[in-house]
Amino acid sequence: MWRGETIDRRGFLKAAGITFTAALSPRALMALERADAVYAAGFRAPDGSFGIATISERGEIVDRVALPARAHGMAYSAATNRAVAFARRPGTFAMVFDADGQAEPLVITSPEGRHFYGHGHFSPNGALLYASENDFDGNRGMIGIYDARDKFRRIGEFDAHGIGTHDMTVSDDGTLLVIANGGIETHPDFGRTKLNLDHMEPSLVLLDARTGTLVQRHGLPPALRQLSTRHLDIGADGRIWFACQWEGARNALPPLAGWLSQGEDISFVSLPEETTIRLGNYVGAIAVNRHEGIVGMTSPVGGAAVILDAKTGAVLKEEVVRDAAGVAPAARGIAVSSYDGRFNETRSRVAWDQHIVRLAI
Amino acid sequence: MRMIFAAGLISLLHTIAFAQEVEPTPSVDLPEAEVTKVMTAAVDGFIRPGYGAFHRSAERMTAVMKTLCEAPSPANYDSARNAFRAAAVSWAHIEIIRVGPVIEQNRFERILFYPDRKSTGLKQVQGILSKSDETAADPATLATKSVATQGFGALEYLLFGTGSEILSTEKNGFRCRYAAAVAGNITNVAKEISGIWDAPDGIQKAWEQPGPANSVFRNGGEAVTALLGILVHGAETVRDQRIETFYKGPEKAKFPKQALFWRSENTWPSVKGNLEGLAALLQASRMENLLKQSDRPIIASTQALLKSMIELSEQVAPDLETAVEDPREREKLDTLLRQGREVITSLNEGYGGAIGLSSGFSFSDGD
Repeated sequence: MWRGETIDRRGFLKAAGITFTAALSPRALMALERADAVYAAGFRAPDGSFGIATISERGEIVDRVALPARAHGMAYSAATNRAVAFARRPGTFAMVFDADGQAEPLVITSPEGRHFYGHGHFSPNGALLYASENDFDGNRGMIGIYDARDKFRRIGEFDAHGIGTHDMTVSDDGTLLVIANGGIETHPDFGRTKLNLDHMEPSLVLLDARTGTLVQRHGLPPALRQLSTRHLDIGADGRIWFACQWEGARNALPPLAGWLSQGEDISFVSLPEETTIRLGNYVGAIAVNRHEGIVGMTSPVGGAAVILDAKTGAVLKEEVVRDAAGVAPAARGIAVSSYDGRFNETRSRVAWDQHIVRLAI
Repeated sequence: MRMIFAAGLISLLHTIAFAQEVEPTPSVDLPEAEVTKVMTAAVDGFIRPGYGAFHRSAERMTAVMKTLCEAPSPANYDSARNAFRAAAVSWAHIEIIRVGPVIEQNRFERILFYPDRKSTGLKQVQGILSKSDETAADPATLATKSVATQGFGALEYLLFGTGSEILSTEKNGFRCRYAAAVAGNITNVAKEISGIWDAPDGIQKAWEQPGPANSVFRNGGEAVTALLGILVHGAETVRDQRIETFYKGPEKAKFPKQALFWRSENTWPSVKGNLEGLAALLQASRMENLLKQSDRPIIASTQALLKSMIELSEQVAPDLETAVEDPREREKLDTLLRQGREVITSLNEGYGGAIGLSSGFSFSDGD
């Protein structure tokens, strides 16, 4: 999406301030109550329009909200029952909505000189929203800070200490911001074009959430310079899981996932060669099921879903999932969606987008 | 494929409900022999000839520039401007290829640094002129300077910008020698890219023979998806970067001086070159041969749209102030934007869907 396709605030509100429960069939409305909604994800409808849906455990659509452009990642606060969908890079809007659909959506726009990178996370009490952003003229990743108690007013920003910032999350105690700097330079003047594939700078960063002070920064060794560290989740033991996308030679077998903890160096998971091949050197999403101690990863490139043991990193299961998109912890196991409309046990007439957020803890 | 299960975990992991425990089938699963034909045709019928033609065009431009410096005259000045236009159009044809060696080592930016919203190139070129920086008058040392001072953007200002009339009278003046060095630099980069594509065991082979040991494409589906990506991104660039940069619609703010080559009135020849490049790649690669008969009209309808846009781009006023202000000219711009969107949709969803990308090309690009 070019920056030229992004919209101003007025245009967004005009387009987005409509809920679409009316679009559901009467049967669906009878079958599903909003209380059934346990996931949320972005989608593209058959007519080419975009939106966000809340989804049941079985994968049925419960409710929809229209968006004028494509969303990417989402954040959810159990403390306030609010969710946020971030525009796909280089988009400049994020939409906040109540998971129970009781309030009108609220729109945040990134400030001049910044665009959203598509991901963000709430502080544990839901008072602050952190968003990964691009200072595109300065070619540096930033973390924008928004006050959720004051209509998501932007109250500051931290340097992400890297370029091509993508996913970010927050430690359970709220003291650390965890940032995946993919290392790929982009600029809205060039759309989604990757501008520095021959000199990438991926890194994983921990910041003090109060001050923005750098706590840890892990670059990758020269041989893994083209390994873009992009997605994150945190396990019950505080272990930070990261997933990667390889931009180097297609016949290489790079590590695609790993973990780190505060005060420790990064460790890569030793995936079997056939698993790396099956994932197509590309993990598009990662999620931890804390209750069951498992980690799910999906690859739209390879058309695969893989489940790891969260303690050892051993592969527990890998399966063919054509057009695999999002992944999230399910009531049991791992929920997976796909570009061709499948979500757990249900197939809907939408293309599910790349990420899912779980609303019910 | 050997499935990997941990004993007792099947129920635990039950929720990947729709997975298939079978051999993986790539989203884009096409006959390898046909893919090889298409990729070979794309490389040998469009990419390599395109870079070769651009290299020769840049060489001619360099020679003409040197002649102008040695023998300045109004006629030689006109020849230099015409050579600039010819090389810029030749570049526009092959510019649609934004993968491979052209995007490595800043080669693309060294040929063309655009967009340049802050006029970085203009300021740096003016700085070089004001100091008569001799290191800019030698292609070897120019190559070490800012990319914004090395390519077509710099050369356009030198040939068409304020003070350029001196080129028709001053023998071996600094401005002319700097311009000749820029032309030489563009030639050097063009030669480098062309050489990389012509090497039989390099990217040429990687593109023509996808396979598990291939460093670029592990299978035919990946190769054809990348080829489609060139067309989709190329069409997006024409519409969203080359036109919408200065005109987004009658009610929107207009910025004619943000357009590529507005100063030399080569905006539309360049746009036309891009569109002709897209049409030529579509034609040369015979991509329709990968489609079922019932889907093949997608190619014909895309070509018809491109033909219409090419013809229309020849009819828009060369002066962009006029093009964005005159209602009749604006209608042409609106049509180009609309048809550009249709081309993108036709390739992205039409062709993408027909080869097996269930949600089209762009939706499937992860992130």
